[in-house]
Amino acid sequence: MGLLDPPGFRRNRHGQVWMHLQPQERELLGNLLEQLTGLLEPPEPRAPVDPLEELVGIDPAAVRPADPALARLFPDAYDDPEAADEFRRFTQRDLRTMKLERLALARATLERKDPTKLTDQECAAWLAALNDLRLTLGTRLAVSEDGHEPYLELSDEDPRRGMYLIYDWLTYHQDRLIRALDKSLPK
Amino acid sequence: MSVAPVEDVEVADRSEVETPWVCIVWNDPVNLMSYVTYVFMTYFGYSRDKAERLMLEVHQDGRSIVSSGSRDAMERDVTAMHSYGLWATVSREQ
Repeated sequence: MGLLDPPGFRRNRHGQVWMHLQPQERELLGNLLEQLTGLLEPPEPRAPVDPLEELVGIDPAAVRPADPALARLFPDAYDDPEAADEFRRFTQRDLRTMKLERLALARATLERKDPTKLTDQECAAWLAALNDLRLTLGTRLAVSEDGHEPYLELSDEDPRRGMYLIYDWLTYHQDRLIRALDKSLPK
Repeated sequence: MSVAPVEDVEVADRSEVETPWVCIVWNDPVNLMSYVTYVFMTYFGYSRDKAERLMLEVHQDGRSIVSSGSRDAMERDVTAMHSYGLWATVSREQ
């Protein structure tokens, strides 16, 4: 992969996946990953943590997040609210930790020289991190199946215009990464 | 470790096996069709044909049963789907 190639993720003929980004893209992706990390980091524990609960990953305080974006990243696993809450207490902490680890892994690759060769684990981290970013922005923008009609109605000064552009740009990068990873798809 | 009689537990377990549980993936406007297909292929090990058929079911019908089995196994699948950012729930097979 050369510097003249279009930015994005690409699989070379040896099957290796490379990430090539403009400096501004690296900075923006770094900022977005940092913001999402801040959103996902748990609040300070109010009470001393029970070591046994900590050990087995139970979070007795886990509830459905009030923030719609977080509620989308940590959805109910059962239609029945009681069963959903019970399930959260056993799984939400681990799920949050997994998401944070993937964000950290993706962020760390941005520190390396461009173009950057990615390991399988780093590719998986980027794929999930880009998706979590799109879910977060998509929830904030109330993206629907009907596409971007609301975008056209926004005034030039509306900050959501910029968010739509970022959302589309993240979609482009995620699509490129899927094509790089899924060998049966056309490049 | 408890040495209580286990007969009652076994009866309860058997009824759970007789009524299998399912993992349902729901449609959402953000996840890319190619991504959902890729997740079904990667996590479940489904063929491209099967993964695409399930993805299209999610997209067109609003939901698809993507796996079935014990409650424990379905909870694992749902947690995995959530880790990928897919919207999934566990329920008893209808």
